[in-house]
Amino acid sequence: MDSKMVSVRINGSEYSVPSGATILDACKRAGISVPTLCFLQDVAKNASCGVCLVEVKGAKSLVRSCTACVRDGIEIITNSARIRDARKTNVELLLANHPKECLSCVRNQNCELQEIAAELGVMHDRFVQTKKKMEWDTTSLSLVRDPNKCILCGRCIAVCGTVQTVHAISLSNRGIKTRVSTYMEKGLGNVACTNCGQCALVCPTAAIVERDDTDEVFEELLNPDKVVVVQTAPAIRVGIGEAMGMAPGSLVTGQMVAGLRRLGFKKVFDTQFTADLTIVEEAHELVQRLTNKGALPMITSCSPGWTKFAEHFFPDALAHLSTCKSPQQMFGALAKTYYAAKLNIDPRKMVVVSVMPCTAKKYEARRPEMMSAFEHWKEKRAWSADDAFYDVDYVLTTRELSRMFKESGIQFASLPAEEFDHPLGESTGAAVIFGATGGVMEAALRTAYEVVTGKTLTDINFVALRGMDGIKEAEVDLNGKKLKVAVAHTLGNARKLMEQIERGESPYAFIEVMTCPGGCLGGGGQPIPTTWEIRKKRAESLYAEDLGKTIRKSHENPQIIALYKESLKTPLGDLSHHPLHTSYQKRGLFVWKTNGHRKKEPVSTK
Amino acid sequence: MDGTETLSKELQEIDGVITKHRGKHGELLGILEETQLLNEAQFLSEEALNHVALRTGVPLSRVYNVVTFYSFFNLKPQGKHKITVCRGTACHTKGSKALLEDIGLILGCGKALEDGEAFYTTPDNEYTISTVACFGQCALAPVVAIDGVIHSNVTTATLQKLLKKFSKRRITS
Ligand code: SF4
Ligand code: SF4
Ligand code: SF4
Ligand code: FES
Repeated sequence: MDSKMVSVRINGSEYSVPSGATILDACKRAGISVPTLCFLQDVAKNASCGVCLVEVKGAKSLVRSCTACVRDGIEIITNSARIRDARKTNVELLLANHPKECLSCVRNQNCELQEIAAELGVMHDRFVQTKKKMEWDTTSLSLVRDPNKCILCGRCIAVCGTVQTVHAISLSNRGIKTRVSTYMEKGLGNVACTNCGQCALVCPTAAIVERDDTDEVFEELLNPDKVVVVQTAPAIRVGIGEAMGMAPGSLVTGQMVAGLRRLGFKKVFDTQFTADLTIVEEAHELVQRLTNKGALPMITSCSPGWTKFAEHFFPDALAHLSTCKSPQQMFGALAKTYYAAKLNIDPRKMVVVSVMPCTAKKYEARRPEMMSAFEHWKEKRAWSADDAFYDVDYVLTTRELSRMFKESGIQFASLPAEEFDHPLGESTGAAVIFGATGGVMEAALRTAYEVVTGKTLTDINFVALRGMDGIKEAEVDLNGKKLKVAVAHTLGNARKLMEQIERGESPYAFIEVMTCPGGCLGGGGQPIPTTWEIRKKRAESLYAEDLGKTIRKSHENPQIIALYKESLKTPLGDLSHHPLHTSYQKRGLFVWKTNGHRKKEPVSTK
Repeated sequence: MDGTETLSKELQEIDGVITKHRGKHGELLGILEETQLLNEAQFLSEEALNHVALRTGVPLSRVYNVVTFYSFFNLKPQGKHKITVCRGTACHTKGSKALLEDIGLILGCGKALEDGEAFYTTPDNEYTISTVACFGQCALAPVVAIDGVIHSNVTTATLQKLLKKFSKRRITS
């Protein structure tokens, strides 16, 4: 933005604002609120809704303040009968073709269209419907699209194309037939979509939502034959409070555990346990690649949107991905092998539910290769394909969990703090920060340093890797060997680092990639809205939790040490290979040609 | 499409088109236009679109956006004869909906032309019937174009006459 200041007059008062500012910016600076709907800070500026109209002296028609810029001496009015009328009419026009299903809509009371209609005082259903009913897109394992609820704001297209550089969706057709489409209407599940859910996170309405698995989980919880355990990702403890009406970033680890017990989960475990395990395996993998001249830079693989992105867009660079499964998948595999054996539970009767900030995790859990517990048992027990089960049975997003809490009448804020169950509930500070961009790298370095040097790392805070810059860098000294590392969040930033690798110019040994802006705390399954301000608050809480932990290095987690002793023996060993490591497939862009590997049909959705 | 298989003749020709347009203003539109003209049935097959996306690096969704935005592009094979009925306001008030229905009756595809809008190719690939929002010939309403020739002030009678040639040929052939 230009630093030159210009003078503007808003509602009769003088203000001085930067010359490149939009009228909306100028009003914000002046503390005057102007309603908006399609506009989304840093993401979308399509000026499609006409809710942000203001009067500019001398202009014939009303002006869309989200895109029109100020000029010196401009006179702006933000409230007049003409403005109120026009704004209201624009919303009424949107409502003409919008299903009025608020009471049975997943976004009820969390919907920007609903909010704006209330705010602008829309009281009449004035216009007749002109659009025909459109089919839902239920092809994706992660998301469901209801084009009837779409107001064509273009936010999803902008986030998918500009922030994530995936371009899975675009507008199609024109005039009254305009809609958001995938290529040839194949559906999200049949095109190169990463399932990141950022589109759902920015959608003002219920036109793109997570696939709802709450009914299935409720049903399992009622089944007396099943042992239903739950794991929670780091980012849930800084998100679920918010979804339950608390302040953004509220750290509610203990209440979350208590609430999950109230829902009826037999054991409440922590994905952070396997986050620590991931770090131990991954740090050893890095050391191995450094000594054996393996593919470098090595890139983290815990973010399933990212791994799928790499499979689609960089199929020839998959050797750079760490072979470590994500913590969610390591957890499922271990729960149904190690833990099931320990407690003598029939793994077929065990149900692993994960609570994730992420919609891509729903897809990840259904990848056909993610059945390693079944593979482990099937020979020993002579089981047939009919007994087959996934390592992780259901994935719930933060938003779904909040719905389950609400439906069950759980007064979340007044729950007592409770502890995770043992042994899969124990974790370190290193695992907590997995939820923030830079956290996995920081955690890995805390361990890799000690593995390589044999010395104790005293200053364990890698501050350069924290914060919300799109790409962050640091250099670490491992026994005189200087390693450059980088951290990227959003797939657009990941793409930049991948192109550097393709050009043979990557200076890095190790790269962390997180699909979502801010890392998992900004995941596609997190509470809506998720803004930069809110992301920062969630991150602060995670770093505070890390600081408060007595053990802050993954390899010092006593239950991880016990796990290696009792079962896995050594990192990267033969025994850890199957449950903890995976491989990737070259998918390319023409997914519908190679698809068809789905073993189980996606569960029905509401 | 992994580079090892030999490309069909059509895809090779598309490669030629892409090279010709590379770097030019309106590159994608130019490529798509010429690609469609190359096709015997005057349409853009999915295979052709995949190929254009692959070679140009334009995202598939964006290619789809363009080909569905411009009415010039066809995603389905076109009949040998093209009949376009104007459904603009002027033509509508002068009865273009009835004309559309007449065409349906004459060519035996009534059902497909129901909603006062159409995009239909007869099963024998002889005729494609479509509608446009406006020809810009409102003074001559109602307007019907047959194989590129615009007929003005069309009535059911003139329409029958115009289509007779075709349907005769159709019956006798
Ligand atoms: S998307 Fe919003 S306005 Fe539409 S039905 Fe749902 S809650 Fe109501
Ligand atoms: S889930 Fe992500 S990749 Fe898929 S359409 Fe939405 S934003 Fe794009
Ligand atoms: S799906 Fe949602 S985000 Fe996308 S254009 Fe429609 S309303 Fe906007
Ligand atoms: S917010 Fe400005 S046009 Fe929608």
